[in-house]
Amino acid sequence: MNAKRLSDPGGMLPLTAAVFSILLALAGSEKHGYAIMKEVSLDEGGAVSMGPGTLYGSLDRMLKASLIEETDLTDNDRRRYYRITRFGAEVLAAETSRLSRAIRSARRKGVLKEARP
Amino acid sequence: MRDASPLLLRVYRIALVFYPAKFRQEYRQQMLQTLRDAYCDKQTGSGKFWVSVFYDLLKSAAMERSSMLRAQILKQPIFLHTFALALIMTILGGAAAITMHGMLRRGANQPQAEMADFYSSEIFSGTSPEDAIPAGYIDLERNLQPFVIFYDEHGKPERSTGYLGQAIPVLPPGVFQYARDHGSDVFTWQPRRGVRIAAVTRYIAGTRPGYILAGRSLRLTEEYESLLRRMTFFGWFATMLLLAFGAVLLNRAQRGPLAA
Repeated sequence: MNAKRLSDPGGMLPLTAAVFSILLALAGSEKHGYAIMKEVSLDEGGAVSMGPGTLYGSLDRMLKASLIEETDLTDNDRRRYYRITRFGAEVLAAETSRLSRAIRSARRKGVLKEARP
Repeated sequence: MRDASPLLLRVYRIALVFYPAKFRQEYRQQMLQTLRDAYCDKQTGSGKFWVSVFYDLLKSAAMERSSMLRAQILKQPIFLHTFALALIMTILGGAAAITMHGMLRRGANQPQAEMADFYSSEIFSGTSPEDAIPAGYIDLERNLQPFVIFYDEHGKPERSTGYLGQAIPVLPPGVFQYARDHGSDVFTWQPRRGVRIAAVTRYIAGTRPGYILAGRSLRLTEEYESLLRRMTFFGWFATMLLLAFGAVLLNRAQRGPLAA
């Protein structure tokens, strides 16, 4: 990850669905691989279906981009925990804001129907 | 029915070899643990679960491999430049080979085109085919010389210098129809298995209507084509080997002083 990107969360946007969902899953608390995978497959986490390969490929790229980091907490070598970094939180906020603007625009144009209660 | 999952878990463990070694070393244990956790907690049927797991494995392994390759190429610009050079040379070499092949093919119709023009204009101007076409015997199976045949308007051979055995070869009726409709036809003719002819046919109107066919064995041209294909392939292969070898040497030479 280069310094320019680290200083500018906007330089990371737009995020892929997998990266966005993982960041969102880690926003609450640190988690191990399966816990992340489970959360991103739920509706609240973006309903992104991913297997171990996609998950660890994304985690690897996110570690390199300093969006997340490993914690000291570990059950053993097989279950390592990850948490979102400060920079990752800024990127997540920027992406969420970008998506909100897109949703507002879609609503204004009548593309997105309001959900009925 | 026996659960196949322990077996599929073993298959998955072996299939991790599709990932780059570095990635495998870093995440193998975690991936297997995550898979075990997911398997114990799965909400769907076993079949659907394993299909999605193996689909994910193949997709992500291909992605990791390509991303590793891209990173390696970008890290070592010599290989990037070599790859670009190899691509340019392949395109240029391919274009040259296609051009040469085209020239060979066009050359295969010479001098038949001139012969067909000459004899058809002679016959059109009133000379009988017997006088226009000199007597001769060219064995189409053995000889490489050009030959000429005159067919009457019904496609019956009347005069020829080319023979298959003792007979004058007969053209398929479609050729006459095409030549009559379009004035002439240029085609590859195979009157017998193993005998391929580059042929030019002209339709002759006038007092003695018919068709003139001038042909020549394609044997020599096809030998040249085969030689050209072999030379193109070996030339390309040797060039790629040299480029790869040169790139490795240059890369080592660049890294040598730093490593020392």
